[in-house]
Amino acid sequence: MNRAAPRLRALAALPFALALTVHLVLLALRYDRLPDTFATHFGPDGGHADGFTGRTAFTAVSAGLLLTLGAGWTLLVRRGPLWGAWATAGFTGTLLVLLVRDNLDATDPERVGFPLANLLFAGAVAALLALAGRGLTRLVPRDEPAAEPGTPDAPRLPLGAGEVAGWTRATASRPLTVLAVLALAATPAVLLLAPWPAALLGLLGLVVGLPGLALARIRVTVDRRGVTVRSALASRPRVRISLDEVAGASARDLDTAAVLAEFGGWGYRVRAHRTGVIVRSGEVLVVRRSGGREFAVTVPDARTAAALLNTLAERHGKV
Amino acid sequence: MLFRVDPASAVPLGDQIAACVRGALADGSAAPGERLPAARELADSLGVNVHTVLRGYQRLREEGLIELRRGRGALIVPGATAPDRARLVSRLREAAAEARELGLTEEEFVDLARASLG
Repeated sequence: MNRAAPRLRALAALPFALALTVHLVLLALRYDRLPDTFATHFGPDGGHADGFTGRTAFTAVSAGLLLTLGAGWTLLVRRGPLWGAWATAGFTGTLLVLLVRDNLDATDPERVGFPLANLLFAGAVAALLALAGRGLTRLVPRDEPAAEPGTPDAPRLPLGAGEVAGWTRATASRPLTVLAVLALAATPAVLLLAPWPAALLGLLGLVVGLPGLALARIRVTVDRRGVTVRSALASRPRVRISLDEVAGASARDLDTAAVLAEFGGWGYRVRAHRTGVIVRSGEVLVVRRSGGREFAVTVPDARTAAALLNTLAERHGKV
Repeated sequence: MLFRVDPASAVPLGDQIAACVRGALADGSAAPGERLPAARELADSLGVNVHTVLRGYQRLREEGLIELRRGRGALIVPGATAPDRARLVSRLREAAAEARELGLTEEEFVDLARASLG
């Protein structure tokens, strides 16, 4: 569920409403000068018209385009990319208005052109509106200040003033290891024994086995740099959340049912509001990120990790 | 496993790292047979020199608490007695520190230890 504030939604819808109004008012004011057929598509060679639309259809399609884009931005908008709504509305609206202008009084739609300058102009308007949208972001309060590490019930690990601390733990999933090794072992067997070219399907074993093996043994580290999760076999690829991004941490216990309900399975899981490296059931370190998303990783002794992370994030924020 | 070191402390950093491993083994947050983080990695994590970490690991090896193998890193010795051994080493080190405070020489302390054996 998207929990954007009503004000944020309104600010995302506003530029599209403005563009639609300008566009429709222009069409209404210049109604007597509109041609029956609009040139609506232009070739790459100097912008000569090569696609045409009737007047009514043009009005409906152009209004529908703005409405659809506006509805999409309003539904999915986030605080950070709000400027994108303004840029999109500015670019689309300007192109439509210029299109109407170039079609005015046209007796032969074939001869309507759409010079490159129009695109540049629309780009410039989009850039200006993007800046305006960025400025308006200030009107929207930041998401959930409650997710600060200052929450009193969050676990802490008391550290001395000059003390440096790091926590690290490796964790492994035996079923995942077995499956990955089987998949890898099957690859040469299939390549050698199966009839060609079906044997190439054996390469799937590599596709399944290598990421599987990388995930079967992971090392989780909490230190002055944040949280790092990587395969115990290699230092890359890795997932790192820096202390800047950590809004808080906690430890939970996930049983099999909870894993399926929240992550839909094991492995590297990306869901609507959380990402997880889930290699087993049991203790999970859950990190709330400053954007509101959650990152979870299954690791024993997650409570110590969460406590240290809260302490480090708090200390980091003070400096 | 939790590592915490204080650069301002009088105890050498390597010894502090060794003490963290001993403590983790004693309280069960590290298990016999578990692999310690690679020295370079732990050094990066704590912001200390890699030789400092290696000095700590070397000390743990002398105490019979970990095995160091080229290319395989550091492993806590397998076997159920490892935690008890870690506790014993910790107490011995405490006793040694106490002896130093009392002004005992190294020889006097070793003689005391030998005497208490039988």
